[in-house]
Order: sequence, then structure tokens, then C-alpha cells
Amino acid sequence: MDDIACPRCKTTKFRNPALKLMVNQCGHPLCEKCVEIVFIKGSGNCTTCNVLLRRNGFRFQVFDDPIVEKELDIRKKVLKDFNAREEDFATLREYNDYLEMVEDIVFKLTNNIEVDATRRKIDQYKKDNKSMINKNRGRQTKDDILVERLLEEEKMSSDLRVDQQKREDLERKKALLKEKEDLIDELMFSDLSAAQIVALHDKQKQELLEKEEQEAKERSRPATAFSTGIKLGSKGSEFLPVKKAAEAPPYEYKPLIIDIMGPPAPTVEELEDFGYLNHIRGAEEQEKAGGFESKIACERAIQSALCGLYFGIDGN
Amino acid sequence: MSEQMDGDQSSQSRYQKIEFLGEGQFATVFKARDSQTDQIVAVKKIKIGSRAEARDGINRTALREIKLMQELHHENVLGLLDVFGHQSDISLVFDYMITDLETLIKDTRVILYPAHVKCYTLQCLKGLEYLHLNWVLHRDLKPNNLLIDENGILKIGDFGLAKFFGSPRVYTHQVVTRWYRAPELLFGARIYGTGVDMWAVGCILAELLLRLPFLPGETDLDQISKIFQCMGTPTEETWPGVTKLPDYVEFKGFPGTQFEEIFTAAGDDLLELLRKLLAMDPLNRCTCTEALKMDYFSNKPNPSDPSDLPLPSKFKKLQGAKRKVEADDSPAARKIRF
Repeated sequence: MDDIACPRCKTTKFRNPALKLMVNQCGHPLCEKCVEIVFIKGSGNCTTCNVLLRRNGFRFQVFDDPIVEKELDIRKKVLKDFNAREEDFATLREYNDYLEMVEDIVFKLTNNIEVDATRRKIDQYKKDNKSMINKNRGRQTKDDILVERLLEEEKMSSDLRVDQQKREDLERKKALLKEKEDLIDELMFSDLSAAQIVALHDKQKQELLEKEEQEAKERSRPATAFSTGIKLGSKGSEFLPVKKAAEAPPYEYKPLIIDIMGPPAPTVEELEDFGYLNHIRGAEEQEKAGGFESKIACERAIQSALCGLYFGIDGN
Repeated sequence: MSEQMDGDQSSQSRYQKIEFLGEGQFATVFKARDSQTDQIVAVKKIKIGSRAEARDGINRTALREIKLMQELHHENVLGLLDVFGHQSDISLVFDYMITDLETLIKDTRVILYPAHVKCYTLQCLKGLEYLHLNWVLHRDLKPNNLLIDENGILKIGDFGLAKFFGSPRVYTHQVVTRWYRAPELLFGARIYGTGVDMWAVGCILAELLLRLPFLPGETDLDQISKIFQCMGTPTEETWPGVTKLPDYVEFKGFPGTQFEEIFTAAGDDLLELLRKLLAMDPLNRCTCTEALKMDYFSNKPNPSDPSDLPLPSKFKKLQGAKRKVEADDSPAARKIRF
């Protein structure tokens, strides 16, 4: 993670987790902020290789290695022209040779080997195969066709689901209506008392609702796993439990007093005020830069002189 | 279960070895029981090293530890309980500590709350304030040397590089593990003060927040460059005299990064403390006393009680049972506790 750094401002991913590197066609990374600064006019030179670049050519770096980004860029461009298909070749061998050539070109351009010669080769190829290139541009590849088919299938199945839902809703409505009519019919023609009939129908209705609820529950059972197969909600916590502790009392600084068994030594402030420091060598600039001051030595010396003077008195 | 330490002198038979704990460059450490007080202790047996070193007498780091630690007594400083020797080896007896801050920071299952971080920092600064007021520089502060006992009390340990300071004399600048080394040491300052320890505390606090080493330099030069990328390249205006330091090298002017962007979850009072601890100019860096008086420690959240601090996952079962075991002091119970 340390290694991700902007070459211009030296910010690293470790120091600034929000750092985002961007790359242009030359493949040299630059952080978002530096791009804003250097390319404020819309175009400028790459800070690493001095190639003229346009600001809108910058995009976020996805791969750690900027060379990979550069290669992807070049490959995209090269494949625009080298768009022949397997069907265009007589034998598999020829097709493989062609693929090999394309890889060769991409590699040379990425690593700056024989750039001019390679560019000439591309131009030559473009001229020779103009009609085929144009023809292939309009054609779909096998992969495109497959994707189209998958999309179509997905749409069909979702339509089917919506349709089914609609039908079910309609049926439910019909059933309710029928139930009501049945109730009125029975009230009109049955021998049972009205209260009994109503109670019976209420019970039936209740059962119907319960059944529906159960079905709905089954349909919308929560997923137990992500699409990647990772189970949702792992058992047991990853961390050790933290004890629920009562809040401790707030901290208050209490000065630490060292018993030197002698008369109290002057404080650092007193050393300065009473002019003790005038009698000792001042710290040199180099010593100060290292964090040493003459008052430290003075304080220590005086403390040492006073320390232990009362030793042996009062049963010490 | 226990095996007697080699030798038959009274002080040696007093400590019964329980298990091997670890080995360092200069010493091997054992867990032992003090048969006089029935206390569990750590015995650090200093290695003799090479023949040449043996001729010089007692190992220098051991001598430093003995000399300084015998007189230091503070809750947050590791206690040296006893020293005994046998022929040419020498052993030091310390309080037994169950873990250290490095283990805790690296344990991804441990959650550190802001109140926990505050409690650790507070204990570390209290111990260091005591050392500094006694004119002792630790010179090797790092999470690995901040030991923690089963009650969550943090104690500063490993005084192998510690030294008295205050007299204007020349010291070596090759101290402090690189990631926690202050910029003046990297520039070869030979006379320095408490700033070197304060810088290390700043790095440790940052590491507690990030749960990753803050400035993990691969070489000394890389260390300087990492510091400058973060804090900005110092100039004569921001750090008077920096160009006069013995190993000063001119660096590309890094603009520095705002602490808000690095410690996105930290409050203003905490950022202020970090800025004071990690000030480039050692004379601008705060002292322990100044740090302890800063708002961060008196503001909410209050520092947690040491007994509420988390323990690494291998002591998980212990946390609940701890109190009960303490009441029941049979030998079997003791075994479970450690």
C-alpha cells in the first residue's frame, strides 16, 4: 500500500487514504489534485516524460501498475483496426499467427520498442485491409450475440413473472367477490341461523387469508447467501466480547513529587528568574537542535547538590 | 512440575523454574515461583555471549538494568525484585507480566475503545514522567517493551538502553528501535533530552489508533523520508539548528499531511496531543507532565479502569474466571491463572 504514491507531490496512499491516481495515454500516474493543478488549462505536459497530454484523457487508475493501464489503452486503440475474426481466416493456424502479431504490436508500443516501425506496420495493415476493417466494424462478434441473447432471456422471464402476478391478483379478487355472494345466498336460503352462517364464513375467510400469508412468506424468504456464494450473517462474532464496564472516574493530574531527602531544589522557572543560568555555558545551536538546553543541566546539577543532605536526620 | 535452577546457592534454589518464556539477544527468560513469597516471577538469565564479552565482565545492558532499576519504584515501571549471580552468570528477577502492548495491538480479535487507548497512554506517560523526573531516559520505548499484567496495569520494561541524562555529555545516537526513533537521533544528534522518549510515545499512541506501525521505515534514510512525508520537511524556521546536526542531509520539501486525514476517527483533543508528541523540533515537543495536563486526558471519554482493559485472545477464558481464581489460592488454581 505504501508504494502507491503520486510522483509529483509525493503523497502516499498510507498518508492519505483518499488519494486517487489518474493515468493518461503515456501511462505515468498523477494524483487527482496534481492533475487539477498541472492541467488547469486543459492541456499540458506529462510531469514524468514531458509528452503533451490533454486533461480529458485522464482517467482513474484501476490497476496498481500504471504500465497495465497504458497497455489497456493501447490495446483498445489497436483492436479498433485489427478487428478480424476467426471466420476471416482460412485456417486456425493463420488466425493464431494474426493474434500473435496483434500481441506483438501491443507489446512493442507499450514498452516503447521500435515505435515508429510498428506504427508504420499498423498504417500499412490499415491500408491493405481497409474494406475488411470497415465491414467488421458493423458486424457483431460472437460474444456480442451471446450477450444479446442472455439479455433477451432475462427480459422474457421477468415479463413472465409480472404476468403471473397480475393473474393471481385477479383470481384473488374474484374469489373474494364469490365469497361475498355465497354468504348472501346462504343467508337468503339456508335453514341455519344468521349468526351461525356469518361465523362459518368468517372462519373460512380467516383460513384463506392465513394460507395466502404462508404462500407470500415462502415466496419472499430472505436470501441466505450473496450472489457470490458468501453466506449472509456469519455465526459467532469475529471479535472478543468487550466487557460492559461502569464508567471510570475522570482523570485529574496530580503532580509527582520525588523525595530527594534534601532542601527543595529551585524549579526551572526559578533558575531562569534568579539568574542561575547566567553562570553556566549556554547550549550551542547544534545541542538545542538535538533537544538539549542548558537549564536541564543546571537543574540536574543543583538537584544533585541538594539531594541527600537530610539523609540520616529524622531517622532517615 | 518444577525443576530447580542450576546451582545450589540459597538464592538460586529460592526460584523454581516453571517454564521457558522467551529468548532475546542478551538473555533468556523463564517463569519461576519464588518459594519464599510464593509469588510468580520472571527470571531473566543474562547470556554470557562471546568469550571476548565474558572477559569484559558483566554484560553492559544487564549492568544498566541493575543500576537503574534497583532504585526505581513506580506502579507503571517494571519492578526489579532481586538480582543473583552464580559464577559468571547473572540473573535478574522481575514482576511476572502476562503480555505486552505489541501482542495486544497485533491481535485482530481485540477491540480497543477510545477509553482503552486513553488508559494505556495515561499509564505509559505516568511511568515515563517518573523516569524523567528521576533523570532517566529509557531510549528504547516501543509497544514490545510496554508490559501488561493480568490486572491491566502497564509497566515500562527493558532498561537495557536506559541512561541518566542531564549532564552535557555525548551519547550515542544509535538508540531506539528505528520505527520509534526521533528525527534528531536520525540526524545524529549526540546531545539530546527527554524528547526522544516523547517521540516514541507519540508513535506508540499513533500505532494504538491505527493498529499498524505508524512510521515503518525500512532503512534509516527511509525512516527520515517517512517522517517528512507525514510531518513535512523541517526548515531552519520550523526547527532552528537542524542543518547543524552532524548527519543532516537535505531532503526534498515534502508538504506534510494533515493529521486529520491520517487519524480520521480521532477527536481534536487527541490530535492536539499527537501534534505535541510528534513535533519535529525536540524543544517544541511536550514533556510528560505537560502531556498529562492536556485536555485529552481530562475530557470525555474517561480513561477506563485498568481491570476493564482487554486481554489478548489466548487469555479469553481467563477474563471471566479471574476474580474467582484469586479468592481460591490453591496450587491448582494458580496453574490455571497463568
